[in-house]
Amino acid sequence: MDILFDVLRTAIAPSTAAFALAAIGLNFHFGLTGLLNMGQAGFMLLGMYGFAISIQQGWPIWIAILVGLAAAAVFAVLLGWPTLKLRGDYLAIVTIAAAEMVRFLGRSQSLQGLTGASSGIRGSDYKAPFEELSPFPDAIVNIGPFSMHGSRSSSWWLTAVTWGIVLLCAGLFWRLANSPWGRVLKGIREDEDAVRSLGKNVYSYKMQALIIGGVIGALGGITWALGNSVQPDSMGRPTTFWLWTLLLLGGAATVFGPVLGSILFWSSLTLVKSLASAFIPSDVLAPTELEPFSLVLVGVTLMLLVVFRPQGVLGNKKELAF
Amino acid sequence: MLRAALVFVVAAVGITAILSMGGTAEAATETEAVTTVATTGGTNLLIQNLFNGIVFGLLLALASVGLSLIYGTTGLSNFAHGEMVTFGAMITYFLATPQAVSFPLLPFEFTIAWPFWIAAPVGIAIATFFGWVQDKIIWSQLRRRRVAMIQQMIVSIGLSLALVNFIQWWMGGRPVRLVTSIDPRVQYGPISVGNVTLISMAIAIVALLGVAFFLQRTRLGRATRAVSDNPALASASGIKVDSIIRIVWMMAAGLAALGGILLALYQQGIGFDDGTKLLMMMFAAVTLGGLGHPYGALVGSLIIGVVAEVSTVWLPPDLKFATALGILIIVLLVRPQGILGKAERVG
Repeated sequence: MDILFDVLRTAIAPSTAAFALAAIGLNFHFGLTGLLNMGQAGFMLLGMYGFAISIQQGWPIWIAILVGLAAAAVFAVLLGWPTLKLRGDYLAIVTIAAAEMVRFLGRSQSLQGLTGASSGIRGSDYKAPFEELSPFPDAIVNIGPFSMHGSRSSSWWLTAVTWGIVLLCAGLFWRLANSPWGRVLKGIREDEDAVRSLGKNVYSYKMQALIIGGVIGALGGITWALGNSVQPDSMGRPTTFWLWTLLLLGGAATVFGPVLGSILFWSSLTLVKSLASAFIPSDVLAPTELEPFSLVLVGVTLMLLVVFRPQGVLGNKKELAF
Repeated sequence: MLRAALVFVVAAVGITAILSMGGTAEAATETEAVTTVATTGGTNLLIQNLFNGIVFGLLLALASVGLSLIYGTTGLSNFAHGEMVTFGAMITYFLATPQAVSFPLLPFEFTIAWPFWIAAPVGIAIATFFGWVQDKIIWSQLRRRRVAMIQQMIVSIGLSLALVNFIQWWMGGRPVRLVTSIDPRVQYGPISVGNVTLISMAIAIVALLGVAFFLQRTRLGRATRAVSDNPALASASGIKVDSIIRIVWMMAAGLAALGGILLALYQQGIGFDDGTKLLMMMFAAVTLGGLGHPYGALVGSLIIGVVAEVSTVWLPPDLKFATALGILIIVLLVRPQGILGKAERVG
């Protein structure tokens, strides 16, 4: 029973919503346009740095959010400019390299004063303005079997806000994907040259998709940071790979694919970890080995998914960017 | 081959010229009071870093030649290549360490403790066999099912995630040392270097020359280049494309393992994610040299290695990887086909 509650708690956790947001951004890139962005974690990291550093400077919260989103937009332009004219795998290599550069810069000792180097920025340094906006009581609140703080850190307030943003962004995806603009993007995904021969500026459309997806990714980063802390190493390459896994799990190019994928991914990870720690004796699988063990399963899941069910749970096999 | 050598010499001379200019400029901006001793110290530091860069570049080249060959023959950007580097070093540690070792999920421990000079070749052999197994059970199956290249790339990402965590699970999170003895540094003119590093360099150079000889002079090597150039045409001329690709996978895995072992000796220890960290450097090197071009990986690796190490003279050392990645992005801006690559439409 405890395991079941753990799984459900993970399913509604704000971090799950934050990953759903970042995956919606990735869905704009990959699902809609067919861009291989392997650096979504870099967008998330930029978003949270922009937000946290602005708050530390004493700026109001809405400016801080805008700074975080603008940082991601600028990053998208810088990335897309050299690479969107090239073949897909070049974009993959450049985005992954650029995301790693952001992480290296963030954890560099030379920027210690701004980013806190490898130890990052503590949550208490930037969470206060957001927590003050909370209408929930400043105490532990029990709703059903779940017990969370009303407004601090991973709170009911953050849960409500993040899932609200997820719904908004899913709605945005649905509207945009079914607009003339979205149809051009799908055209680019299916056959770039055909769209070009219709007189569309493919480069510009790809750039727009890259910026929108990156900005949503940054929003995911900001919401993630509100529940945790700004940590450059928590946004490394594995994070991007998890995003890909959960996007492909839920179904790329679908409205709710990323959301369902995020919920399924994190709850099954919790399930595997709790089952393993409950039933596998600790001399066979020590508690410290649980994390790598479950991540091995994630990697294998990604491989099997891509080969045997590339459309995921919700997807349509005809709508694939491969 | 001649063109490769030529381009490399020109690039090396160019980089040295720029760097020495930078060096003198820096020396000039310093106040008059600075004695000449400080300036020679600066030059020595530069030469030492240049040398370190060449060592790192050679080790990087060992790892990335395989990546480039795989890309050339199959078109796959293999994201799991970094783990092949770690795997080679780790399996050698597994065979050589005097401590008790075990397999994951198996509760019993045992000690192997072979001498290093036996463990290393056996480790490379096991890694080569792992390359064969990988191609046999994953990549050849995917090619047969005609799975799209992008999908294969994501499969390699999944494999990378699985392997790196498997290695962490198996070997633990701490860096391990292949040999316990400390390599004393010896001063040769302005350069201080350990003897093990010199031997590693020699081994790396011999292995790279071996690869060049294989590609240039043997029938199999010629067949490999033919497949790399045009698989369909190679197949039509009677070359067994699939067996060539399998040999390429074995070679790539073996060379990566050798690179990993030498890297572990050079930096005196290897962690479970060192190869994964190295992957970006390998991609930078391979792209810089020209994706899929057999000698491009060598040229690119040496340049990336030298730039990464020399940049530490002016920039903080924890930014040296970021510098190398910055170069990758600039190269894609001005010459996306790389230094040796043929100019072709890539978009």
